This record gives sequence, C-alpha cells and structure tokens, in this order.
Amino acid sequence: MFSKSVQNRLKLFSVIGIVVLILILFIQIQLSKNIIYFYSPQEIKQINNLPKEKIRLGGVVKEKSLKKIGNYYSFVLTDRSTEITISYKGILPSLFVEGKSAVIEGLLKDKNFFIADNILAKHDENYMPPEVANALKKNIK
Amino acid sequence: MIGTFGHISLISALILNIYLLLSYFLSSLKKNINFRKTKHLNFLISLFIFLAFIFLLWSFATSDFSNMAVYQNSHSQKPLFYKISGSWGNHEGSMVLFILILSLFSSFFSFSRINENLKYLTIFFQNILILFFLIFLIFTSNPFDIISPTPIEGLGLNPILQDPLLSIHPPFLYVGYVGFSIIFSFALAGLYLQEFSMLWSKQASFWIIIAWTFLTIGIGLGSIWAYYELGWGGFWFWDPVENASLVPWLASTALLHSNIASMKTEKFLSWTALLAIVTFTTSLLGTFLVRSGILNSVHAFANDPDRGLYILAVIMIITFFAFLIFILKFPKDRTPNILVFWSRGSFILINNCFMIFFLVVVMVGTLYPIFLDAIFDKSISVGPNYYNALLAPFVIVLLWFMAHGPLLEWYKFNKLSLIKIIFQISFLTLLSSLIVIFYFKNISLLFILGVFSSLYLIISVLFDVFKQKVINKNLARIVSHFGFGILIFSIFINSFLSKEIDVPIKVGQTIKRDTIEIQFKNIIKSQEQNFEEIIGNFLVKDGTKSFELSPSLRKYFQPSQVTSETSIKNTILGDYYLAINLSEFDGDKIMIRFYHKPLMMWIWMSIILIILGGFIRIFKKQDAI
Repeated sequence: MFSKSVQNRLKLFSVIGIVVLILILFIQIQLSKNIIYFYSPQEIKQINNLPKEKIRLGGVVKEKSLKKIGNYYSFVLTDRSTEITISYKGILPSLFVEGKSAVIEGLLKDKNFFIADNILAKHDENYMPPEVANALKKNIK
Repeated sequence: MIGTFGHISLISALILNIYLLLSYFLSSLKKNINFRKTKHLNFLISLFIFLAFIFLLWSFATSDFSNMAVYQNSHSQKPLFYKISGSWGNHEGSMVLFILILSLFSSFFSFSRINENLKYLTIFFQNILILFFLIFLIFTSNPFDIISPTPIEGLGLNPILQDPLLSIHPPFLYVGYVGFSIIFSFALAGLYLQEFSMLWSKQASFWIIIAWTFLTIGIGLGSIWAYYELGWGGFWFWDPVENASLVPWLASTALLHSNIASMKTEKFLSWTALLAIVTFTTSLLGTFLVRSGILNSVHAFANDPDRGLYILAVIMIITFFAFLIFILKFPKDRTPNILVFWSRGSFILINNCFMIFFLVVVMVGTLYPIFLDAIFDKSISVGPNYYNALLAPFVIVLLWFMAHGPLLEWYKFNKLSLIKIIFQISFLTLLSSLIVIFYFKNISLLFILGVFSSLYLIISVLFDVFKQKVINKNLARIVSHFGFGILIFSIFINSFLSKEIDVPIKVGQTIKRDTIEIQFKNIIKSQEQNFEEIIGNFLVKDGTKSFELSPSLRKYFQPSQVTSETSIKNTILGDYYLAINLSEFDGDKIMIRFYHKPLMMWIWMSIILIILGGFIRIFKKQDAI
C-alpha cells in the first residue's frame, strides 16, 4: 500500500510515539507519588478528608510553646487564627526560633496533632517562605 | 558622584546600542552595510558597559552609601573582598554583570574569522539582546539609584553568602548562561542567511565549549558551596535554583554532542540549530526563575513582580522570534538520510534523546509547582525522590550508550570487532564490580546496576585509550567521559552508603556507632569583629584513624543571623563531616550532626576532570577537532 520508505517512516514514528507516551506516563506516576501538598493550620481545620500522605505545614512557631518531652519536642504552629500541636523527633535547625516562621514536613494524625519528621529552615531569620506569608496574609485580613 | 558617572555610562551604552541597531538595519535595506562602523560601535558599547561595571565595583569597594544598591547590600565593616563580590550579590549588580558578559561576547566574537555578513548579523542579533536587558536594567533596576540623605551605614549582606566560593561562582555561571547568547545569535544569523552548515558547526564549536565549560565550573562551585556551607551533608538538593542551572547544562551537553555530529557528517543540522535556540532560552528561563522571586531561595533578589513580568515578556518575545526564524529558514540536512544504527552519529542522537528526557524531567519537577500555584493557587513541592526515581534508571542505560558511542565509526559498522570489545569490557567490568560490591557489602539492585554501568563506562574509556595510538586527538573526550564515569560511580556509592548520626552530646562524653567514635573535648567562645562564635572541639575515631574536628556556630550582628560552620576531614575513601546545632545548647551540652560521606573527594575530582576536558578542547588547535 505504502512505499517501503514510507512504511519505514511510519514504523519509526509509531515506535517514537509509543516510547514518548511511556515516558510521559513514567513522569506522571512519579510526579503524583512525590508531590507534597502545603497547608496552613486554617486549611487543615476546614478540610473534611484528612490527607493520609506526607504534607507540609507552614506557620509561625507560637511563643513559649516549645517543650521537650523525653526524646520528643512539642510545639505549637499557628497562623494567628488556628493552632496545631506538633510533635517532632530529631534535631531542631539553628534557625528554628519561637515567634518566627517555619515549614514542617510530616503526617497529620488528626486535626490538632501533627507528627513531623523534617523541619525546613535554610534561610535567614527575617525571611518568610512565600507560602507562610500568603497563609498569614489570608488570615489577618 | 561615582554613581552619576555609572549612570551616564549606561545611558551612553544604550544610545550607542540603538544607533548601532538602526544604522545596521537601515544600511542593510540598501544592502550596503558598513562593517567597520558596526565593529567600532560594538566595541564602544562594551567599553561603556565595562565602565559602568567598574563604577559599580568602585561604589561597593568604597562603601558609597549614597548608592541605593550599596546601601541595601553592603556594610562598611565587611572585608574588601566581600564588598567587591557583594556588587554582583544583588539583583541590580548581577544584571550589570549579565549585560557586561553579553557585550563582551559580542566584542570577542568580532575577532573570529568568519564571513563578514554572518559575523555582523550575529553581532546585530546580540545587540538586540543587549538592548532588551539594558532597558530592563536602566528602567526597572537601576544600579545607580541615589538615596538622599546619604545613610551612614549599610544594611549588610546575608552572612551565608559571605563565602569565597559563593562570591566567585556567579561570574562563572553567568559566563556559561550568557555565553550561550552568542551561539544563539550566531545560530539565528546562520539560519537567516541560510548558512547553517558544517562550516557553521565548526565555527560554533569553540563558543559552545567555552560556555559549557564555564557553566560546568559554576554548577560545580555552587554544589561545593552547598556541601560546605549549608551543613546538611548533601551536595545537590534538587532545589529549584539548582535545577535552573542544570536544565541549560543538559541542553548544552546535547548541543555540544549534536554539533560534533553536524561538524563531522553534516547530519542533524536542524536539530543542532534547535538546540542552540533551546539552550539559550532555558538559560534565560533559569535567570528568570532564580531572579524573579518566584522561588524561595537565597538567590531570589528581586521581589518585585514588575521585574519578573518584564523578564518573562522578554523571554517570550525572544523565543517567539527565534522559533519563527527557525521555522521559516529550516536548514536541510545535506547528506542523504541514511542512518546506520551502529554508528557514532546515531549514538550521539540517542545521547541527545536522553539529555532531552532528563531536561523534561527536571523542568516538569521545577515548573509544575509554580504552574499549580499560579493557576490553582495551590502550594505543593516535588520531593527529591521524583528526580532520583526517574533519572537513576535512565542514567544507567545512558552510560552503556556513552561507553560504546566513541568505539564506533561515523559511517560503517564492524560487527565482529564490536562484539569482541563488548565481551572484553563486560568481563573486566564484571570482575571489578564484584570487587567493589564485595568491598562495600551492598546488594540492592539499583546499587549493583549503577556500579556496573559506571565501571563499564570507565573501562571502555580505558579501552579507547589503549586501542588508539593517537590519544592527543581525542584527549578532551577521553578526560571528560572518564570524569563522568567516575562522577556517576561516586554518586552511587555516596548516596547508598552515607551514614548519619544525630545526637545530643555533653562535654567529655564519647559516643560510639558502628566503627565510629566521637568524643566531645571542649567548647570555646570567641568574639570576632562581625560575629561571636561558639567552637566545639571533637575527637573522631574510625578504626585506626583519628582526627580532630572543630565545627562552630556564628552569630552575626549585621544582619543578625546564626550560621553553622561545618568541619570536614577529607580522606580519599570518604569525608568525615561534623556540624553543631544551636538548639538545646546549654553550656556543656550540644546537638551534633555527623555524616560519613564516602568518595566525596572523588565527586569533586570527577567534576574537575569533566571541566579539564572542556579546557583541553578550548586550547586545542581548531583544526584538530
């Protein structure tokens, strides 16, 4: 039906098409596996289905809330309207200070309790991650 | 006062630039271009931008706080070196550097020996780029804005940025990023004049390798800095800012290779042209992402949305016209389209497919969160596992192709000799991987595959060396590919076998984990000019080896900030890395983070080898390629 060269080209293009589709699928699968959603304490209060996967939570570490209980730290993260108690086992970064912003990664147990496995603080102390700044702005309004 | 001179220099450069563009355009309508005039104007523009840059450096060096940029980013107590490097450690200054490199490339390019029409059209296109960025600089981020009354003291610079490596890495990175502009302009000129040919590839190769080498140096320096300064034991965090530099690197590595194929066989011309455009576009995109403040990082200088929008608009205009020229003047491959699978050309094409795949993966991971945030107002981040899971398996396959490509011929295929070589290399690789796996006692599948394939590449390069009598001819490739093999090998070992100990420790206490013993000897406080420091002295033992490590914490006053200074003992087999933490510090007790990082020095050495390969190509005689 087609000449030989056209047939070859058709074969080539269909192989390329299939390979590209498979690769896109790969990317899509890995992306959905590794996305970490960001919430503010306020948003946690409002959702109905608690996320089961790892999430990030951002806000301000409430003043005088940091305590050490055994091996664990406990502190309160607030966006000035809602508060969530965080439990964390590990080292607090040097830039983790009460009254300053922090982003915390971990699992949500219930609407008031969060188990953190990572605290992200790589910046200087006056810096506020844009996500936290936005969350605070929404609530103070 | 100095600032006024700087401002005048910039305005003069802009006027000359517009004059050059207009006179070139008008005379090209009459087909009577005055090349000498264009050349001289081009030099003058560079001179004025250079002067502006010197005036800016001068303002920073003398702490002239009447200058807004100096006031916001410098401090009179800072050492002179950081005062000077501070001049490009901010948005305005870094844009001056950006434009300076744009115009320097334009001037250097005017010395190259190519046909005049092509050369000056390239310079014309390059000056259009200079125009866009000069307007941006002068009207949205003038580095010579004046504050009145003059403040007595500056606001200082983020202390985490006061580091020798970090101070010098932007110029290298910029020579890389911006270096691709001249290839971009040259490609557009070549396409427009229908002179995109084997000859074009030969002439472009020099500029491609320069930009690529400098980009590699910039990325290397940045990652060494992250390793020493951030204190988390890693050298690559899949941070969007790092990704922004990796994307052009991947594009340019693809360009570098496809250009070699175009140069040798006159194949893939249109593909090479496309890559030349894509490489510079991704460089611009990187600049936009890093500078606009969209990403949260120490690099985000500009938090002004107008600036981000302007750069975005410029990128879109430049990309649109570049692709328009590409589509209208699409170059035709002149050799008959026979592709022998087992040939060097087709292996270069396969290498390119891998690079493009990596590029797409990194770009999707970097841009998807931004896209989701802009459209749906949802904040997400993509975990590092996304990159590792997608890249690692494909890198393993890439290494196999990379090992065989150079062993093949450009056109013909000798089946028997290839099978023999594959057999020999496989045998040696199997032996050496068994030794490595036995030594490190790790049997996870990915680890074994990674070790095997990287050793396969290393051994194939050695084969390449012994097989050919003329090493000199391919030295650049041999050194770079050898370096890349070692890089992947050490990354696999490093990421699978790193150890971490996080623990609170008291003065006098000793902690034991596996073979490692850490003894906390004492703690010292000291007062420096700009900060106070707490230094912990530790004795670390691993088997028979023992050494002292003294990590510290610095509390800077201006601006007030705490930084953690790591203490690292480099050994050939691995680094011992210690950092201390402010939390829970009460007199004699402190939190430590200890890492054992195997083959860390090998990673740095292999990057140096890759860069060395670049330099060998730069300094080799042009005809020997």
